Amino acid sequence: VSVPNSMRVGPFCATVLAKKKYLLLYIILIWISLFPAILEVWWYWQLLWNDIRPLHFYVFLPLYFIVMYITTVFAAILFAKILLIIVNAFHKPREGVFLRDPADKDYRYWSLRNTIKKWPTWLAHKFPFPFLDNICFKMFGVKTKFSNSLFEGWVDTEYIEFGKNVVVGQGAIIQSSVIIGNFLIIKKTIIEENVRIGAHVIIMPGTHIGKNCILNTWSSTMVGQDLEEGWVYNGGPAKKFKKNRFFEDIPIEKLTKTVGDLDGLLKKYDEQYVIRHVKKKIPLKERRIHIRKEKNEEKPEEKTEKKD
Amino acid sequence: MDETIEDKNKGSENIEDDSDFNIDFTTSSAINRVSLKFLIVYIPIFWFSGIIVATFWYGYTEGKQPWIIKLLFLPIIFLAFTFLFIISCFFFSKLLLILINLIHLPKEGIFRTEKGDTDFEFWRLRTEIKKIVLWLIRNSPLPWIDVIAFRWFGVSMDFSSHLNDAWCDSEFIKFGSNVTIGQGAAIMSSMVVGNYLIIKRIIFEDFSLVGGQSTIAPGTHFGKDTVLGAVSVTTLNQKLEDGWIYSGIPARKLKLNQYAEMRRDIIQKVDVDEEEKTDIEHEVNIDEDKKHLIEGNKGGVKK
Repeated sequence: VSVPNSMRVGPFCATVLAKKKYLLLYIILIWISLFPAILEVWWYWQLLWNDIRPLHFYVFLPLYFIVMYITTVFAAILFAKILLIIVNAFHKPREGVFLRDPADKDYRYWSLRNTIKKWPTWLAHKFPFPFLDNICFKMFGVKTKFSNSLFEGWVDTEYIEFGKNVVVGQGAIIQSSVIIGNFLIIKKTIIEENVRIGAHVIIMPGTHIGKNCILNTWSSTMVGQDLEEGWVYNGGPAKKFKKNRFFEDIPIEKLTKTVGDLDGLLKKYDEQYVIRHVKKKIPLKERRIHIRKEKNEEKPEEKTEKKD
Repeated sequence: MDETIEDKNKGSENIEDDSDFNIDFTTSSAINRVSLKFLIVYIPIFWFSGIIVATFWYGYTEGKQPWIIKLLFLPIIFLAFTFLFIISCFFFSKLLLILINLIHLPKEGIFRTEKGDTDFEFWRLRTEIKKIVLWLIRNSPLPWIDVIAFRWFGVSMDFSSHLNDAWCDSEFIKFGSNVTIGQGAAIMSSMVVGNYLIIKRIIFEDFSLVGGQSTIAPGTHFGKDTVLGAVSVTTLNQKLEDGWIYSGIPARKLKLNQYAEMRRDIIQKVDVDEEEKTDIEHEVNIDEDKKHLIEGNKGGVKK
């Protein structure tokens, strides 16, 4: 039910600091966003304490505390949004493959955006009401509905589109940007209606998941993979497991029966997990030649797909 | 490399038969659709427990002690207030839960995830209520006491086993003694597949162990001394036999758990030693020049 103690970091953007001076911005943001709460305390004090009515003061204090926290979150979101608009005016965020180096402008600004978004997302996720980080996601450019439950997993804060009734399982990671080797890849991830993402699933940037899909636990997708609608997917990279007919009207007796043929099931799973290594066995010498060839060609996009 | 990618996406050509309805995969127990009307429940819980803390704080500020003593005890008072807040939240949410369970008793089975289905609605309400207290306890400076919360909410377990580092549903789970659950494991007694919600009891026997980041589906039965390796998944209603090490997706037998045998030996040896200890009291292995000390204690003549 609750995020475990050792992993209570919440939905974070990757914490890459391209330059240390971004920390200064981060601290300023914390500083400014605490002002409204302080003002509210002062106002509350003026209103209820001066008339010597401590009973009112103490009774409504807990309720007021919640209000204060929410205003702090909203203030943080507001100031972060203003900063983001300024930053985006200097350099418009865009998709693509960039070099992972402080000299690269896109990489630098990606890191800066994440640094700015971190404080509001952290603050919103620290609040036990799960809808607050939905507001955060919405403000920072993730298309989502309030009914979606994104509370248990890690979700990136830009270039993601969610449909209705999407559920992100425990410990699932949904990325729109990833660092592989020396490259930063930013690609839009689209997840359509009624998709249920299982526990510990990893979704890479550029994935498009169709309607009514189910992802089995521990499955993962590749950069730019397209999942057809209405299937159950399994394995890494995700492959079709079977047709998703659980949105139909099924008599419940059919669902209750347990899996009889466990060996058959194991075989089915094995095919999806192991074949990749068994089928294509390249000897070491050939593999080296292959790698050398690729180095000469220098095509970053192909490389990244291979490493998944 | 492109060829292999195409191969993977082909998948198996499924003929439409009943095997389509087998639930041989595992999804997640994250709540389906967060509805804001359930969240209103949080406000009274927060408010009432906040009032309790506020009254104590009032008593503290109005006390006649000198300010230096008040300042000295401030940190410990803050700690006490955190726990007071958590415990009172705990108390109020338990009260609410009892009321809700009186209206509708939680039960196992397969239900529809529609707005009319009472089982589904109450499952959502229960999880929302439980979430807040578990969240508070796990973020407090003493996260190990979440065992108490789990026990109150309907997980039968004691302090010898711990699930501090895992996602765990808080109902229909039974723990034996000395169960260890690894970091990031997800233990789910409920699962939503398409339009259906499945709730089934999970049982852990004594000394079973779950590896890190593994996922446990509803209806799983862990035998005694069973070990499940890291990054493995069980399917619905899977039975894991006594004394085996399981691993993989889905979990399969890897080898016999020899460590369990070794542990049993150690326990037996300890028992035997203690018995011997009572029998042979005088044959203690001591150096010759120190034997007179024992004799002296017995009332013998000293040199």
